[in-house]
Amino acid sequence: MPNLALKNLLHDKLRSTMTIAGVAFAVTLVFVQVGLFMGLLDNASVTIDHLDADLWVTSRNTPNVDFAHGFPEMLVQRVRSTPGVQRADNLLVQFLNLTLPDGAEEGMLVYGLEDFTRWGIPWSVESGNLADLRRGAYMFLDASAERRFGKFAVGDYREVMGRRVKIIGRSREALSFTTSPIAFLTYDLVQQLAGGRMDGRTTYIVVRLEPGADAAAVATDLRQRLPYNDVYTREAWSKRSRSYWVASTGIGLNMYLTVFLGCLVGVVVVTQTLYTSTMEHIKEFGTVKAIGGSNRDIYRILGAQAVIAAVIGFASGRLMAALLAPAMAKIRLKLMISNEFAAVVFVGTLLLCLFAALVSFRKVAKIDPALVFRG
Amino acid sequence: MPSSAPAPATATAERTVLEATGITKVFREGSEEVSVLNGVDLRLDAGEIVALEGPSGSGKTTFLSILGCILTPTSGRVVVDGEEVDAARPNRLPAIRKRSIGFIFQQYNLFPALTALENVEYALNIKGVRGKAAKDQAEEALVAVDLVDRRHFLPRDLSGGQKQRVAIARALAGRPSVLLADEPTANLDSAVGTQILGLFRDLAKSERRGLLIVTHDPNVRTIADRVVRIRDGRIVDPDVPLASARPDAQPNATARLIQEIAS
Repeated sequence: MPNLALKNLLHDKLRSTMTIAGVAFAVTLVFVQVGLFMGLLDNASVTIDHLDADLWVTSRNTPNVDFAHGFPEMLVQRVRSTPGVQRADNLLVQFLNLTLPDGAEEGMLVYGLEDFTRWGIPWSVESGNLADLRRGAYMFLDASAERRFGKFAVGDYREVMGRRVKIIGRSREALSFTTSPIAFLTYDLVQQLAGGRMDGRTTYIVVRLEPGADAAAVATDLRQRLPYNDVYTREAWSKRSRSYWVASTGIGLNMYLTVFLGCLVGVVVVTQTLYTSTMEHIKEFGTVKAIGGSNRDIYRILGAQAVIAAVIGFASGRLMAALLAPAMAKIRLKLMISNEFAAVVFVGTLLLCLFAALVSFRKVAKIDPALVFRG
Repeated sequence: MPSSAPAPATATAERTVLEATGITKVFREGSEEVSVLNGVDLRLDAGEIVALEGPSGSGKTTFLSILGCILTPTSGRVVVDGEEVDAARPNRLPAIRKRSIGFIFQQYNLFPALTALENVEYALNIKGVRGKAAKDQAEEALVAVDLVDRRHFLPRDLSGGQKQRVAIARALAGRPSVLLADEPTANLDSAVGTQILGLFRDLAKSERRGLLIVTHDPNVRTIADRVVRIRDGRIVDPDVPLASARPDAQPNATARLIQEIAS
């Protein structure tokens, strides 16, 4: 059967290009906006996702991993004595000031653990040996810090809260949601640098369970033993840290608004071009009716045109987003597009294009086939 | 009493494929009613060619639309290929058009994105013929109009006469018993128009289809068995037998070719 929908699209290349470009633009906009947002959100939980802990103990109502509050560090003993716990350590997360060579001060997020090698962070080491952190006033600094702190190399010194600390290694991809670079120091050193306010206090207890232990049951047990703390599974804590930024700031609304506008632009462009195309082919549709075709035959043509525009537009938009990702990575913007999200966008594109065709459906439903006799 | 145009006694042996009796059509324009047809009768037999003539605004196209089951009459009776058209069941009209009627338009109304073959094939698809059968029948129809060598041409690459041949082939698709042509030669020069009329005559006579041609073109009379004149929504002249009485109204080579294909 001749595919009239496809033939019409190929026949009217300019209009087809406009329709597909409209869809592609909308798809690219959605991919870039949501991809950047997902990349940012990934930063909000990047350390939680990589740190090899099954449970996190936090102070009560801590909103996200960056905004940590202190509680007595001795509580770690209660955690260690809980059945099902294989290992538990204190983790200090603090914003500390770093003095740059030019005298300016910048904030950075500091993670303090007794032994990083046991917990799997930093997860991507560019240079240096994590075991060396325990040998003195040393730190690993993430490579992303160069954007704000300027160039640095292993062996350089920086002042952290007025004390000289030597950079002995560089990590990659450790960037907080607030875009503050992350540094890794020993637990004791962070307590010292915090200037007394964190003496005897920690901000988290990270817990690894024994093989086969029931995370939910251990978490319930821990909540009874630590009535003034919260206990989360890794997934729950990761989700809470991400949700904070979506719900408590305008960034979530901004993303939803942009996605909505992207979809709106796509729908308007597709609706307009499909409708104009329908009007230009109105006599052809009248002819279809005159030779015995039904509205369903015409809906099939219009629907197929919308689907073709959606499929090609989606593929073009996905390709453009994929091409933009490396360019954005160069300016340290992470564009994260999961297959699941791409599938959602594809289905959404199809539905929106079919929705756009509804206006044309309504028009052709009322075509008077007698128009075929008009000159 | 409605004006009537009964078929002449000389053509009574054929089966009647289209019959309209007492057709009226009233359009409402705001609060006014405009009567376009005022009790028109017409009968068309298989293999018969009738020319419907009349000035602009006489109701020709409205009458053609009613005969083609595109419009329903305000009153009157239309029987197409033995089936009475029920105005109360407009959903049935497309099925009657699909089965029994082939249209040929003044502007050809071909699908510009489809080749000549695809135009005919698409019409067959609409009529429920699919796949290889549709392709084969489309090719046959193009053979019948002597255009098979241009079957892969788009309409824009065809001359006016060739486009009209494709339109005729499309109208033949599905072997309807009634062909309705609206000013089929109006956009053609006289030489090409004469060729098209010859083709009409051959197809109508060889395949025994009833052919009604709405026209201003006096040349149509050369192939018509009867001429019916309409003015102000009424048949005004008694029809006159024409081509059926002429010795040249015999199937020519094209018609013989069609018969061979059909057999």
